[in-house]
Amino acid sequence: MNSLQLKMGRALIYGLLITFALLYLGPLYVMLVTSLKDIEEIRGGNILALPEHLNFSAWSKAWSSACTGTDCEGLAPYFWNSVRIVIPAVLISTLIGAFNGYVLAQWQFKGSNMLFGALLFGCFIPFQVILLPMAKLLAILGLANTVTGLVAVHVVYGVTFTTLFFRNYYVAIPNELVRAARLDGAPFFTIFWRIFLPMSTPIIVVTVIWQFTQIWNDFLFGVVYSGPGTQPITVALNNLVNTSVGGKQYNVDMAAAIIAALPTLFVYFVAGKYFVRGLTAGAVKG
Amino acid sequence: MGAITIQNLTKSYASTEVLKGIDLAINDGEFLILVGPSGCGKSTLMNCIAGLEEITSGHLLIANEDVTDLSPKDRDIAMVFQSYALYPTMSVARNISFGLEMRKYPKAQIEATVQEVATLLQIEHLLDRKPSQLSGGQRQRVAMGRALARDPRVFLFDEPLSNLDAKLRVEMRTEIKKLHKRLGTTIVYVTHDQVEAMTLADRIAVMKDGIVQQFGTPHEIYNDPANRFVADFMGSPAMNFIECVVFEGNLVVESAAKRYELAIPNAEALKASGLETVVLGIRPEMITEPKPSTDATYVSQMFLDVSVTEPTGPDTLAFGTWNGQDLQARLSPEKGRQAEIDSTIAIQVDTAKAVLFHPQTGARI
Amino acid sequence: MFKYLETHLPKLVLAPTVIAMLVCMYGFIAWTAGLSFTKSRMLPQWEFVGLDQYARLFSNPRWQVALDNLFIFVFLFILVSLVLGLLLAIFLDQKVRAEGALRTIYLYPMAISFVVTGTAWKWILNPGLGIEKLVRDFGFTDFEFRWLVEQDMAIYTIVIAAVWQSSGFVMAMFLAGLRGVDDNLVKAAQIDGASKIQTYWHIILPMMKPVFFGAIVVLAHIAIKSFDLVQALTGGGPGYASDLPANFMYTFAFSRAQMGLGAASAMIMLCGVLAILVPYLYSELRTKRS
Repeated sequence: MNSLQLKMGRALIYGLLITFALLYLGPLYVMLVTSLKDIEEIRGGNILALPEHLNFSAWSKAWSSACTGTDCEGLAPYFWNSVRIVIPAVLISTLIGAFNGYVLAQWQFKGSNMLFGALLFGCFIPFQVILLPMAKLLAILGLANTVTGLVAVHVVYGVTFTTLFFRNYYVAIPNELVRAARLDGAPFFTIFWRIFLPMSTPIIVVTVIWQFTQIWNDFLFGVVYSGPGTQPITVALNNLVNTSVGGKQYNVDMAAAIIAALPTLFVYFVAGKYFVRGLTAGAVKG
Repeated sequence: MGAITIQNLTKSYASTEVLKGIDLAINDGEFLILVGPSGCGKSTLMNCIAGLEEITSGHLLIANEDVTDLSPKDRDIAMVFQSYALYPTMSVARNISFGLEMRKYPKAQIEATVQEVATLLQIEHLLDRKPSQLSGGQRQRVAMGRALARDPRVFLFDEPLSNLDAKLRVEMRTEIKKLHKRLGTTIVYVTHDQVEAMTLADRIAVMKDGIVQQFGTPHEIYNDPANRFVADFMGSPAMNFIECVVFEGNLVVESAAKRYELAIPNAEALKASGLETVVLGIRPEMITEPKPSTDATYVSQMFLDVSVTEPTGPDTLAFGTWNGQDLQARLSPEKGRQAEIDSTIAIQVDTAKAVLFHPQTGARI
Repeated sequence: MFKYLETHLPKLVLAPTVIAMLVCMYGFIAWTAGLSFTKSRMLPQWEFVGLDQYARLFSNPRWQVALDNLFIFVFLFILVSLVLGLLLAIFLDQKVRAEGALRTIYLYPMAISFVVTGTAWKWILNPGLGIEKLVRDFGFTDFEFRWLVEQDMAIYTIVIAAVWQSSGFVMAMFLAGLRGVDDNLVKAAQIDGASKIQTYWHIILPMMKPVFFGAIVVLAHIAIKSFDLVQALTGGGPGYASDLPANFMYTFAFSRAQMGLGAASAMIMLCGVLAILVPYLYSELRTKRS
């Protein structure tokens, strides 16, 4: 292969990589510029055109006064609903997952591997198959249409993933560590708090990020189990887009979509490394 | 203080029996080594002593107190692990003091103990480091420090040197022996390395398939093995096993196309057994170049065809053939060089310490 | 008593999860299965009618459309994502500059929810103002692109948006796989005279087989569960032309008060996932054992 061919090959590779990069960035760019235009400009120009001047009115409308169905308070209340759902759900499911993983990896008992396999299955089931009975159970417990109910649902079905993450992390640690600590006189929980938890920072970060994106982005549980005052932001966004009182306002739709995506995008750009690790760990699934 | 009695101990996982009735009595202050090939049950036995594995049946006594149902932390034992099992997020000092903290020792006493142990093992300068910042040998010392700090009735060592390189292993071996001399605490030590077993032990228990094959001093194990397995496992280079025909209480061997009859010490037992063939066990150092003055009763002079020699420095191993079977002899370096040139050399065979085994069962005759 | 607690503590810690699992996974699946054999509508009603609901389901034209859509969607979504993800991974593996930045760009859509993705693409594919207008502004004044509102084409818009969101993930999986290939193997192939393309085709790609299977399982799983993307992008429309089974189940179980029918459709979805999962796990376990 001579050097010209080599150079052309490199050029082709870079050309394709950059083209695809632009294609992947395109939708984000379109959302952003559309959100900064007014409706006249949108109708006059095309989706790629830059706004003539920066106009943030669509953003403030999306945040505080756009209509999501019959309410017209913008996304703000739903944004805070999502925060109120995500924080406890992520913390609880991560903590339970850490305990479960610790037991399944380091305190194996007869049948513990079978239990783990049975639990793993939960990562795969289509949630449609549990939607109806869960609705019934929430109603019986008086948790229908409540934030607590949504938190509980996210914890129950999130624990399968968090357990998987922690179990796979802890299973790589030699069991001699537990044995040494037991001989040193440390009981079950002390070994967890003092020895295992302090060395779990990477997997805690992976798990928290994974759970955060999963729960923040959830739509199915949100739409089925929330009521008028407790809807998460994804449901509100969908309602906002489908409410056409007073004509379509694409700039507000786009501003609202970006607002809904910002927290997870922020986490992705700050801690992308851990995000990818979570994805691949979630993909390997045991 | 730290005598251990093991009575008819068995351990099973599901349907497989890993330990099949172990009986051992270890004296206070004794250095006991459990040795055997991997899967022989030696590590399981150690974990049973530690209380990390539950015993299926039988009893375990430490200082005449039945500890069978006691949890590990109440048995007053300390253990050094193969992977060292240092707590990765704690400093060296915390690693050493953790067991004392758990037992709620007063702070001043803990600090004094850490200092004392660190001085003893020469790791004072490492106390603030994390385990990940230590070399293999340093980790080994910290692991021992952690065990020493507790001042237990019994130390358990689970293949503590197998992760070190050859030179360091020899150094640490000596150090462990010195430490034992100094402290006088009972030690149970698991290894698969028979050299370690021979050099360290007061007594050795050789295990195979969950059964103690022989329990005795290194001298007894080496010179008076209970069966062919023990004889084969202990000693490097390994003992020669040659199947021979019995003729009037003597053994017939063929070497360099000639027949020789070898006299053996326990001819009476051999005759009584009525066997026509028998396996002769003879260590390589008993097959040497002819030496001028030796008690002639059990010494035979003969020739040996040598195929390969392996100089080790102080002496040379020569590989030859007896009765169509492989044989190793231990020659001086000079004789070794000659063997390389001549290929057939004169040797002497000393059967005074030879042992005989049943050709089928491997039992000692 | 204390000793008992000590030895059984690990099991006690696991107990809440095990109970939740037995009730909320296996129990609920059984409950849904049971429901699918009854004539429940608005409320559960335990009057068994055998396979009637399944018969009704498969004679329902809307379910037929949803199933057909699912096959189109699963096939195209997996195929395009695999090809695109693999190509990007191979290109990225050529020691390119700014690899980290490019990787970040390809993967960021995965961090966004399907609802946002749907909202964005709904605007981009807008029949009057989206891509159609853009191309017309370039001078092609007759250009038409109205898939979003065309009966036969709406499902393909869902494929486009889903590929945009998930192909970066496939890229990440393949890239991890490629990085795991022993360098000496590539050197050996070079010494044997293989060109770069031959090396990839004959040596490296066959080694990626587990990654292929892993990616297919994950993508198929995403596809079968797909609900929010359809809801946000097309709302299942026009009419119900772009419905997927998940949307069918939601509509019938919750909006139309046809619980029995919804449960039956959910059970079919579960069977679909099992049909992919069981052979995969079987082959995984077999290779692990050998």
